[in-house]
Amino acid sequence: MSPLDHDDHDVLGGLMRQSLDHCVKCTICETFCPVSNVTPLFPGPKYAGPQAERFRTPAEESPDTSLDYCSGCGICTQVCPQGVHIAEINSQARSRLRQRTGVPLRDQLIARPDVIGMLGRPAAPLANRTLRSPLLRRAAERAIGLDRRAPVPDVAGRTFQAWARKHRSPPAARRVAYFHGCGANWYEPDSGRRTVELLEHLGVQVLVPRGQRCCGLPLQSNGLFDPARSYAKRMARRLAPAARAGIDIVGTATSCTLMLKREAREILGLEDDPPLREVSDHMYDICEYLMMLHDRGELRTDFGPLPMTVTYHAPCQQQGHGIGKPALDLLALVPELRVVESTSLCCGIAGTYGLKDEKYDIAMDVGAGLFAQVANTHSDLVVCDSETCRWHIEHATGVPAVHPIELLHRAAGLG
Amino acid sequence: MARVRAEVLVIGGGATGAGVAWDAALRGFDVVLVDRADLASGTSGRFHGLLHSGGRYVVKDPVAARECVDENAILRRVIPDCIEDTGGLFVTTPDDDPAYGERFLAGCAAAGLPAQEIDVGEALRAEPRLNPGIRRAFTAPDASVDVWKAVWSMASGAAEHDARILTYHSVVGLHTADGTVTGARVRNELTGEELDIEAGFTLNASGAWAAQIVKMAGIEGIGVIPGKGIMIAMSHRLVNTVVNRLDLPADGDILVPIRTVSAIGTTDIRAADPDEIPVTHAEVDQMLDAGERLVPGLRAARALRVWAGVRPLFQDEKSGATLTRDVTRTHAVIDHEARDGVRGLLTISGGKVTTLRLMAQDLVDAMCKQLGTERACRTADVRPPGNERGEYFRLGTRLREREATLGEEQLICECELVGRGRLERTMHRRGSVNLDDMRRQLRLGMGPCQGGFCIYRATGILHAIERLDGPEASASLVQFLEERWHGVWPILYGDQLRQARLDDWIFQGLLDVEHLPAAVAP
Amino acid sequence: MSHHDVVVVGAGLAGLVAAVRLAEAGASVLVLAKGVGATHLSPCTIDVLGYDPEPVERPLEAVARLIAARPDHPYAVAGPAGVADAIAWFTGCFEDGPLAPYGYVGDGAENHVLPTALGAPRPSAVVPESMAAGDLRGGGEICVVGFRTLKDFYPLLMADNLDRLDGVHARGIELDLAAEGRADANALGVARALEAPAFRAELVAQLAGRLGADERVALPAVLGIADPHGVWTELQEHLGRPVFEVPTLPPSVAGMRVYATLTERLRRAGGRLILNVVVTGADRSGGARVTAVRARVGLRDVVHGADWVVLATGGFASGGLELDSRWTVRETALGLPVVGVPTPGAERFHPAYFDEHPIGRAGVAVDGEGRPLEPGGGVAMDNVRVAGATLAGAEPWREKSGDGLSLATGFRAAGSIMAALGVGAGATAGTGG
Repeated sequence: MSPLDHDDHDVLGGLMRQSLDHCVKCTICETFCPVSNVTPLFPGPKYAGPQAERFRTPAEESPDTSLDYCSGCGICTQVCPQGVHIAEINSQARSRLRQRTGVPLRDQLIARPDVIGMLGRPAAPLANRTLRSPLLRRAAERAIGLDRRAPVPDVAGRTFQAWARKHRSPPAARRVAYFHGCGANWYEPDSGRRTVELLEHLGVQVLVPRGQRCCGLPLQSNGLFDPARSYAKRMARRLAPAARAGIDIVGTATSCTLMLKREAREILGLEDDPPLREVSDHMYDICEYLMMLHDRGELRTDFGPLPMTVTYHAPCQQQGHGIGKPALDLLALVPELRVVESTSLCCGIAGTYGLKDEKYDIAMDVGAGLFAQVANTHSDLVVCDSETCRWHIEHATGVPAVHPIELLHRAAGLG
Repeated sequence: MARVRAEVLVIGGGATGAGVAWDAALRGFDVVLVDRADLASGTSGRFHGLLHSGGRYVVKDPVAARECVDENAILRRVIPDCIEDTGGLFVTTPDDDPAYGERFLAGCAAAGLPAQEIDVGEALRAEPRLNPGIRRAFTAPDASVDVWKAVWSMASGAAEHDARILTYHSVVGLHTADGTVTGARVRNELTGEELDIEAGFTLNASGAWAAQIVKMAGIEGIGVIPGKGIMIAMSHRLVNTVVNRLDLPADGDILVPIRTVSAIGTTDIRAADPDEIPVTHAEVDQMLDAGERLVPGLRAARALRVWAGVRPLFQDEKSGATLTRDVTRTHAVIDHEARDGVRGLLTISGGKVTTLRLMAQDLVDAMCKQLGTERACRTADVRPPGNERGEYFRLGTRLREREATLGEEQLICECELVGRGRLERTMHRRGSVNLDDMRRQLRLGMGPCQGGFCIYRATGILHAIERLDGPEASASLVQFLEERWHGVWPILYGDQLRQARLDDWIFQGLLDVEHLPAAVAP
Repeated sequence: MSHHDVVVVGAGLAGLVAAVRLAEAGASVLVLAKGVGATHLSPCTIDVLGYDPEPVERPLEAVARLIAARPDHPYAVAGPAGVADAIAWFTGCFEDGPLAPYGYVGDGAENHVLPTALGAPRPSAVVPESMAAGDLRGGGEICVVGFRTLKDFYPLLMADNLDRLDGVHARGIELDLAAEGRADANALGVARALEAPAFRAELVAQLAGRLGADERVALPAVLGIADPHGVWTELQEHLGRPVFEVPTLPPSVAGMRVYATLTERLRRAGGRLILNVVVTGADRSGGARVTAVRARVGLRDVVHGADWVVLATGGFASGGLELDSRWTVRETALGLPVVGVPTPGAERFHPAYFDEHPIGRAGVAVDGEGRPLEPGGGVAMDNVRVAGATLAGAEPWREKSGDGLSLATGFRAAGSIMAALGVGAGATAGTGG
């Protein structure tokens, strides 16, 4: 079977491609593209998406390798006034391109954060030292093209799942299933724990479905659609029982949440997977979920004061939810907290994009505006919904970055 | 009065005329070709782009089918770069009789056409947008052909053999002496200057305009009834294979992937005048309904442009007989010596792009016979220029070329990926101030935005290259806008209406073209 | 379900104007939009009325005449005084906006006559400060300067046409200056490059000694994006003469400045803007009152509660109005009735491009408050206000009234709601929202 066969042309996948018909060439996507605005290596979303797609057929190899410089941030789709699914078209085309050019070992590796986590955990201190050793990082750069300067998180000694197995959430009328993602599980288990504690404080019983692995997003971003599909389906099967029981699922990894809510269906074309449909229908970004409670007057808002200045940056993937910035509304409930809203659309990392040696500088240039804003506002903290963005921003600014939930956790007097 | 001498004068620069000039020049004749406008700007430039396998004719017209089978194979050999090997599908829609498939297969066998029935599921996997209700599917070696490229290739080939190609030269009179046509007076439509062409023989390849030409030699009684065929280009490839409805040829039964678009066609409506062939909303509706049968959802897809071509139906008003056999697509040479007692003049009638080479061969053979000379036709063996690669056209070609010059060259027409270098080279070579010529040559402005973004740019570049003054440049721009509008207003709905309205904002709201000094040409 | 005082549908000029005015008056405002609006595409000069069909010299007076002659023209909703108020409010938005002191000049009493990128004289009422020196009314000498690497602006062609106008002498210079080292830059790229002092210095150096004593300099509208006032004034200073911008093909840098100004004001006023949301309908409480708008977000349907709705989704260009292949027209967000559509079988377009086309003025008809009307004349939705290019009765690209109409009707929609909410300047009795 040819790599360009019609797997990608399922109902929704096909609709993504057909949306190129709506493009009127207006250039709005180009003016917002974080990547093409800092480097000519990427010819821009309009070119790579609706324009180039007219020249692609299943019978021919994709000739436009520049497409690989698209970071997949999705901003083009968000700003397009005509309804062209530009990022989705690009993502599908990039996958076909990479099936032709092959996917480098590096991308195969970084696309599987849970594998890295699993391999790294038993020897976490050693692994972390290894990952921080300049010598070894230089070697890794030469060997596999992982930029030696790029932020790589520490693998935690104990996973969030291990903590959750021991934890009993007090029964409550309102229950959610927590989709923690690889970040909380392998790298930031404390953040996962605090999420559970906050939800419980707010009167929500938290179930943590066992055996949660990677949702497939990094694989999808790296063009590895087939393994991405099996990852997404596997993850969906873990969460589907909760959804089937009418329990909403909340996630703190906003990109992964978006993946299961929408992208796996739209980009990977997994419309015929019932568990994924059920999970997708019940999936909420955690801030979105808390604001829903707030809109209904059901959110406990007795937060204590946090006298500090923070910059809130809504990651591009969070904006992909189309829910506005609920974190801003939640943080506004915290007395004495001064929140500066980031005016940047993207920090540059785009998941694993900025880790690659040929793209690291681009990622830094994309985020330059945000980094300057963080510095200029003398922020004590950066607040951001996505872990890879937080690691990147921390790395670039030296200012610690946390999930909005962490601040609410503090303001609730829990930490 | 300037004079030009030639052995052979070819009237008409469509597919037939270019083929005739190429054929005659290859046989060593000294050729002049004239066309009243640009090459392939009449009927040839207004068809759907199908290189017939012959499948459409196997039941109704075995002779035409046989010709197509042979010529399809020859053209694939000699002009491969102008052809995309899309392959063809013949499908039985829910409205068609599945039993027709047997007649089709029998006809294919008789015509030597390698058609094969395939599993419907396989056809749907290959073309996911096809009507899932199709009941049978057959493959055939249909292809699509870039007629502009083919015509320019043959005309350039003729020019390499010293033929002179005079575009924008219309015939204002034929010279005759002692019952022999000895040439023509032509007028340069750009300068208004007239020119006498003395020719030993005149070959009339002017298609739907052929009767108007022979009347200039006093020949009466040839009627050409223009048969209007409309086609709609959809904005991207809905299919990558030529899709034919498996039934007797009818309106709207074919969808051809040609370059970046897919063209749905066509109709056959008798028109009064080959120069007056407006497209009506009713015809568009009929075509869309027909298209829905092949590709459900076609109405919701984006239509880009509609155009009409005129298929000339020749009738002998003396005898009442049709000069083209039946109303089929097969061609015939009209011998004016035998029919009208006029020597030195032959007319070619009927035909289609797929058989252009054979038509040229038959016409030049007939001329050689009258001249009493024997020179063998070589067009089945010689590749005209532009086919040196010897590979079929591939859709991704421009994307691949662009990839190599990313960051080095400006992209002027973003939809069809025309870079500034290619545009400037073509402008220099053509010396034409007509942006519509650039459109046919380069596909400039033929994509979804229909020139909304590139035509202002092309005007600016043309102004610099051709040293036009402002009003001349404005006239080129306005002429293009009017021409473009002609092709879009009947299909303005959905996405293309959005585009047209954005283009209105650009040309009227932003650039205020209407109020340019001396802009709107009288 | 969230709930806001006002949900504004559409993030073009009309929607943003309404949203900012309402939010600054204290209303809670949520803007839902499919994407970024036409500010990025428009020259973003506020063209109140350019032709009626003769060139208009005094636009506010001409608007009054237009309303008298065509009571169904959308300007009738705003009225000449409303247009003047809207202009004053809009220019005020820049005075303490994020790009200040970059601002707009003009009050609508007189039209400037600004050259287009083709060199046509285009009447325009309220224009960016950096375009005003292009006014052709006094004639004069103009040197049009462009960049070879900017394909959306052709200085020689523009100068050639400009030179044919009475009293104007123009010539063009094309500079070989690559913004950000790119052979193929768009206007935004050049604008960004011009923020860098070195690039500006290079521009000035390349023009040194090449300008006549009385020549003013036309440049494409790329004089800065973050600090347009700074870039423009420095160029005037260093070139020692008036410098002005000329709108280019999209993307419109001048439009991006308007978008930046209005969205930042909205943000500061606590308003919210969510993109990639397709509004698909309205919930009603029974009768003509809307209680919420329904929208499609990704694969999910969401509902946003609202006391008031401003519909500013644009016309056919943006998909606010849609004509399908069976020639049926619909207003896509709320399903409001559309007028001005030729009857089935009748001609929608004329075969000549520059003609007025029968479907040209199609849109949503409104009453004096901007409320959408049923075909019979009754109010279709009582707490909905319609603004901008969705409105029936105008051909703004021909009249040169586009941004003027959007501004005036967006401003008016806000005013009507403010009066009802009792907030801000539109209040009859003043309690805060």
